[in-house]
Parts: sequence; C-alpha cells; structure tokens
Amino acid sequence: MKLVRRAALPLGAALLLCGAGACSTPAGGSSAAGQVFTTIDGNNPITAGAPMNPFNASGNSFLGYDQMQLGFSKKNPADPNDFFPGLAKSWTADDTGLTVELQPGAKWSDGTPVTPEDVKTSMAIALTQGSATVGAGVLTQGLDVADVKAVGPHTVRLEQVAGAHNIHFPRLVLTQKIVPRSVYGPLLPADVWDTVHASQNPDKGAAKAAQAAVDKLNAVGQKVSAFAPAKDVSAGPFVITRVNPGSAVLDRNPHFYAADKIAPKQVVIRHYTGNEQIWGYLTNGELDAAPYTSMPTNVLNRILKAGNKRVDSVSYVDAAIAFNQSVAPYDKLAVRQALAHVIDREAVTKVAEPVGGTASKTTTGLIQPMVEKWLTPDQQGKLDPYAHDPAKAEQLLKGAGFRKGGDGKWLLPDGKPWTITLQTVNGFSDWISAATVIANELSSFGIPTKPALTADFSTYKKEIAEGKYAVGFWLTALGPQTDAAFQRLYGADDGYTAVGTKVTHSTGKGSGNWQNTATSFTVDGATVDPGALTAKLSTLEPDAQKPIVQQLAAATNQQLPVIQIWDYTNVQFVSGKRFAKFPQQGDNALLANPPGVWMMQGYVQSAK
Amino acid sequence: MTVTATTPAAAVPARPRTGRRAPWASALRVLVRKPGRIVGLAILVFFALMGVFGPYLYPGDLAVDPEAIYAPPSAQHWLGTDFAGSDVLQELVVGARYVLLTAAVAALATVVIGTTVGLVAGYHRGLADSALMRATDFVLTIPGLPLLIVLSTLWSFGQPLQMGLVLGVTGWGGVARAVRSQTLSLRERGFLEAARGLGLPTRHVIVRELLPNIAPFVAMNLLLAVIQFIGAEVALFFLGVVPFSSSNWGVMLNQAVFSGGVMNSPEALTYLLAPLVCILLITLGIVLFLDAIDELFNPRLRERS
Repeated sequence: MKLVRRAALPLGAALLLCGAGACSTPAGGSSAAGQVFTTIDGNNPITAGAPMNPFNASGNSFLGYDQMQLGFSKKNPADPNDFFPGLAKSWTADDTGLTVELQPGAKWSDGTPVTPEDVKTSMAIALTQGSATVGAGVLTQGLDVADVKAVGPHTVRLEQVAGAHNIHFPRLVLTQKIVPRSVYGPLLPADVWDTVHASQNPDKGAAKAAQAAVDKLNAVGQKVSAFAPAKDVSAGPFVITRVNPGSAVLDRNPHFYAADKIAPKQVVIRHYTGNEQIWGYLTNGELDAAPYTSMPTNVLNRILKAGNKRVDSVSYVDAAIAFNQSVAPYDKLAVRQALAHVIDREAVTKVAEPVGGTASKTTTGLIQPMVEKWLTPDQQGKLDPYAHDPAKAEQLLKGAGFRKGGDGKWLLPDGKPWTITLQTVNGFSDWISAATVIANELSSFGIPTKPALTADFSTYKKEIAEGKYAVGFWLTALGPQTDAAFQRLYGADDGYTAVGTKVTHSTGKGSGNWQNTATSFTVDGATVDPGALTAKLSTLEPDAQKPIVQQLAAATNQQLPVIQIWDYTNVQFVSGKRFAKFPQQGDNALLANPPGVWMMQGYVQSAK
Repeated sequence: MTVTATTPAAAVPARPRTGRRAPWASALRVLVRKPGRIVGLAILVFFALMGVFGPYLYPGDLAVDPEAIYAPPSAQHWLGTDFAGSDVLQELVVGARYVLLTAAVAALATVVIGTTVGLVAGYHRGLADSALMRATDFVLTIPGLPLLIVLSTLWSFGQPLQMGLVLGVTGWGGVARAVRSQTLSLRERGFLEAARGLGLPTRHVIVRELLPNIAPFVAMNLLLAVIQFIGAEVALFFLGVVPFSSSNWGVMLNQAVFSGGVMNSPEALTYLLAPLVCILLITLGIVLFLDAIDELFNPRLRERS
C-alpha cells in the first residue's frame, strides 16, 4: 500500500537524507537528549513549498501533531462512534445532532482559545470540500451538518439535516479537521451557511438551486484548498516551525491543553519518495516510530536486526484488482470471474506482501475477519472462493465466446487479440511486485499482460477517476464500518452520491464514475441496487445492517467489480532507543492512529 | 583525422597487386594486434548473440516460484532468483534483446540523422548550414532524460523500436555538430576540390568522397552512442516512468532497489549486480573494440604499425 514517488536517482536519495537532517543532526543524538521524536507521516510525504493547510492535497499538515480533530477514531467495528478525545472533551449524540464539550484549556499556538466559532468555521469548510480535492468525496459524504451553534463558552451544538438519520454523524463530525477561524474564516463568504442549507434542500423543485449551491461551495472549497497561511496555527501538541525539502520540524506547542503529557520537545517528520527510503531510515535506526510500510521479508529481517520492534494491529484494508466495466471485455461477468480463477492469490501475496498481507479467501468487499463477523457459516460456505483454477477460467472464457489463437493467446469474441495493461503506482512496491506476478500468470495463461506505472498516487486517483485505466490496483474493504467498505465499490467511484436520504447515480465524463458496475443485478433471486443498499447502511445501527451486509457481500462475490488479492495487517515499527511506553501489539485502537495521538493519551515517554 | 583520397582511378597510378591485402585479412591483422581488441569484439559478439538468440533459449514465460524468493546462486539458478523466485539468468538473457535493440536503433538513428545533417550543413555552408545548425542547436538544448520522462506519459514505449527512435531522434545533435566540423575541414582539401572541379554531382561528392573519410568518426560515434542509449533507457526503466515487462535490465535494477530492498539487505545483490555487470561489460567491450575501429578505418595508424 501507500507511498508515492521514488527518488530520482540514488544520489538524489542520499541528498534527501542529508536534507532531512540525517547528516547534520541524527535523530535521537546526544544533543536531542531523547527529546526529538523522528517519524514519517504515512499519508503525507513532505512537499516543500506546499501550504501549511490541511485542506490542500499536498499540504504540510500532520494529523495528531499540528492537525487536530474533535476526536480520534478507535476503529471499533462494534461501535463506529468510539473515539479518543481530541479537542472535544466529551460529546453527546441524539436523534437530531451532537453536543460537543470542548476541552476547557484548548488553545491555539498563538495563545487564543479554541471556541465554538472555530468549530463552526471548520464544519463550513468541510462542507466545501466535497469535490474540491480528489478523494475527499467519500470522506465528507453524509456529513449532513445543517447548523452549528455555540451553546456555551466551550459547548457547541451541531444539528443534522432535518429528516436525515446517519448513524455515522458523530463520527463524521468528530473526525473533521478543526482550524482557527482567525485564519480560515476570511476565506468563507458571509452567506456560506445559507449556501449550505440551499445545497441540502431535498425538494425536487429546488434541485437546480441545490446544484448551484453545491457548485458555489465547491468553488469556495477550491479557494480554501489553495490557501497558504503565513504560519502554522495549531491546537495540537506540536506546531510547524519549518518545512525543509527533506523534513518538517514541529516544536512542542506550549499552549496545548495537555502539554504535560507530551514528552518530545520536537518532532521531525521525514520526507520519503518511496518505501525503500523508509526501509533505509528504519535499518539505520533513525525513526522512533514508522507507520505501515510494505516490505519484503529480507528487509523486515534487517529492520528487526537494527533494533526496531514490530507491532501488529488489525487493518481494515484490502488490495484488489479493480475493473472499469465500461471497457470491454471487463463488462462481461465471465471475464472477471475467469481472471479471478487465473490469479493465484496465495502466490501473489507471498511475493508482494509477505510481511503485512494475508491472501484473500475470496471477494466480498470486506476483509476476512469482517466476513466471519457478519456472515453466517452457511452464507460463508456459499461464497465462491474463486480458487486458482486455469481450467475453470478457460471454460468460462469459451462460454463467453472467447477462443485461443494459433499462438496459444486468447482472442476476444470479435477475433481481436486480448492484451491487458495492469496499472499500478510508482513507489508502491507491493503493488508493483504483485503486478509483475499477476502479469506473469495472465501471460502464461494466454493473455499478454504488462504492468504499467503511474507517476504518483494523486495522479493515479485522478486518472482512474477519468476512466483512463481499464484494470488497475485499488484499495477496498476500508473499514471498520461496513458502509465505508462498500462505498469503495458502490460509492462515489461508482457514480453514487448520497445526500441525506437521497441517493443519485450518474455515469459518463465528469461523473467520477470509473467503476461502472451495473446499478441492478439479481442475487439469489432478489434484485439488488448496490449503491442504494450501501447508502442505506449508513442510516442503520450495526445490528440492523446485517441483512444488507450479507446481501452486498453475496452480490460482490457474484459480480466481482474487483478481485480482492490480500488483506493487509497493520505492521508498524517502534524503536525503544530514545522513547519508551509505546502501544503494544494488539492495541488496535491506538495503533489505528498516528503517534501524536498516542502522545495525547500519555504514551511515548523518554526512555530512562 | 587522416584522409583517404578516393580520387578517380585515372589520376592515381595503379598499385602493384602484391602490395594489397584483402579487407578481411587486414581487419583480422588489426584485431589480433592487441588482445584487448579481441576481448572487446568477443564481448560484443556475445551480447549480440544473447540479444538475437536469448529469447529462444527460454521460450516459455518467466516462471514464478514464491518458495524460492532470493534463492542464492545454485546449479539450478546460476545467478540466483529474484523477489518472485524467478531465475535471474533467464531474465538477464531474455531482457537483453529489448535493451540492445533499443540501443542499436537509437544509435543508428542518431548516426544517420546526425551524419546527414552534419555532412549537408558542412558541405553546403550558407543558408542550409545556418538552418540545419539552428535545428541542431534546438535539439541540443532539449534536456534528454526529462524529455523522455515527459514523453513517457504520452507513449508507452512498449516496443524497442519506439523507444529507440525517440532516443535517437532527440540525441543526434552532438554527432551533427561534430560531423559538420569534420566536413568543413575536409571540404577544403585538394581531393574534394578536384572532385568538384571534375564537375561530379554534389551527391557523389558527399556520399562517395566525404562520407568514407568521416566513416571512422561515425563508426566510433555509433558505438559510443550505444553506451549512451543503454544508460538512458535503463535509467528510464529504473526510474519507473515507463511501463515495463519483467524481462528488462532496467526493470531488474528498479525492482532490486525499490521492491527487493537491495540497498538495505544483501539478499537481492545478484539481482542488482547481474544487469549492472552486463552494462559494464558492454561498455568495456565497446571501449576495447573502439581502438580496433580507429585503426581499421585510419590508414595512417595502419601504416605506422
């Protein structure tokens, strides 16, 4: 998984290391006296010159350090609203909204208090980010905040859109980025909440006005995304003091509400251009903590030998091969099923993700532990495992009108040669390795296949959304919530939009729909609209979700909009050289969050 | 640079038959004079054969063996295996064709375009010279590798011919400049003045009189261009900016570093070193053989020996 562009040249990598401070101030050196915490941000390599703006796609803003939320999700599959407190000390959810009690001592790094007005500004900005940045659509889908009011100096009331019943409303509110009104407020028009209300109007007669309001919000969102604050103003435990091409340096924020819990006086977040740089940092003992990074077994052994400790936790992510079903022949179910039989998932996983991967047992849209939690043994037994079976694949293809040419290569039903370009991303070492093995398997089967690399993940997301790739890697089963997992298959990328209770579907250019799965098909005799069912999931309590989850899992298993290859394990590394009291193996809630959140909870203390 | 005067036969007295050597005998004599030249030629022939016949030695697809990831060299896998348990030797041999064919096409394109432009510009001078040299300057100012990275977003470079032509078409500026300089010098020599005085057509003068005299220079540029273009194409694959198949030296380097972790663990070392050593050997072969080429085409050097 993860990670973007790689070093231009080995020399470039070496220079970056120096730039990052490895040459001049080794992390944890004597001068730091155990007070400098060095890490990387798995979602955010340093982009020199990018604004210190969390709403910018390449912005230098680091969750848990200088980027704060009201709360931090524990990723509890049994309770989507289970959180570590952040800027919110406590919260109460009811049928119409959420009341949040802010930390009474919460202050920005300029010494001013965090107020309900900051929360109101942040929510308005969140509502402008629907399509302003790539990938933000899923995050803000269903946010449905209708109004934000201060009901006390530290108390804020957030109302949900009238009539909407989204069980994830607290989660969506609590995980929004909270930014200072003094900095971001001037970017918003005075009537922004009127525009928000207009965009949320479900009346058919007001559809045009609602769309105009959405367009207006998106325009504001783009302005917000491009904004470059003069300096970082943080309510988190750290505040950015400088950003070099090789690293970002964050000093402890003396105004942080729980500053006494924060042991490091400084955090250095290293730049990386690919997994191999992180491997280098780890084998050199330069990082105090590293998030999940894909690696082969030989590198793992070196990293452990260097004194790092491996801590595993559950990961609600699965690597899959996704299809653009508007491109022939991937619109044919038999083709997708045949390809699933050709790919040997065990072999692919063993090569590509030997450390943090478990071959998917089948494709359901969920990781295997979730399949076992949500589906009955009988239902699990009925799932087609799509075992590695080239003979079965051949039978399926022949049944769909495909035939083999004299050279042993498969021909499309119209007699043209069938070749596959399997798209993946530069720097994603596991995807690249997997693509190599899968290409080899498919080519051996008679479908000449070549892996192709896209320069970076931002470009990949943009181009896949534009329908440029017919077959490519995709992360699925993102949980722990089932609606989030199925939104990867039947959400914004499949043309579905859910506002309140209204679900719409669109296709074609500009719709963002690149998956193009059929909107209706029959599963076990019942007609299924996967997008509508997925949207409905977000309105139901976990217990009531079961029949829909079971139906969607069976539908996904039958239709194969993707072929799941492996489930990830969240393998992280910590070093005990400079700091102690790290989360332990199996501390899933803490390990689902970055080290800044661990520190807020009193973890990561100086090693004696 | 020495000039071979290819003046009309009537103007030169015939040499006694006994004083002439057969071309092959002459070439052989030049080659065996220094052992390094034979080594150079042997290396080049070896890789040329690898490029031509290598894929026939391994007709099937590259086998993947997850149970033998980074296996050390053994009787079964002479150079060990890679991150997918595939035989490194097989990848090396099969991958040679793309690398060498691309370099050969690129070098040929460079030499053909560069020599033609240089000859025409240098011989005609005036407006043709100005126009062609401005075009050459333009090509020289194009930064090669960044341009290729940009072009790779438009073209897939799936075939060696495509990549070879792009490399060649963007890489001929230096050769054109150098050939023009040679031509400007040669065109004032007596044998060319004689040819022009005899009223021989321009095409004859350029192709039959000028070209043979800059042939050694062109031949050396051709071989040096091969080195340059092998480096360029391998760098493109190493950077991962072009689609790749698993049978390519640049891809091997890419995957050894970025997927195999060779910079952090020695297990992938043979996977990294195998293509590097091949590139090094080709470079060595060309450098050693260049010495022979120089003498072969240069009668003054031949006469000295």
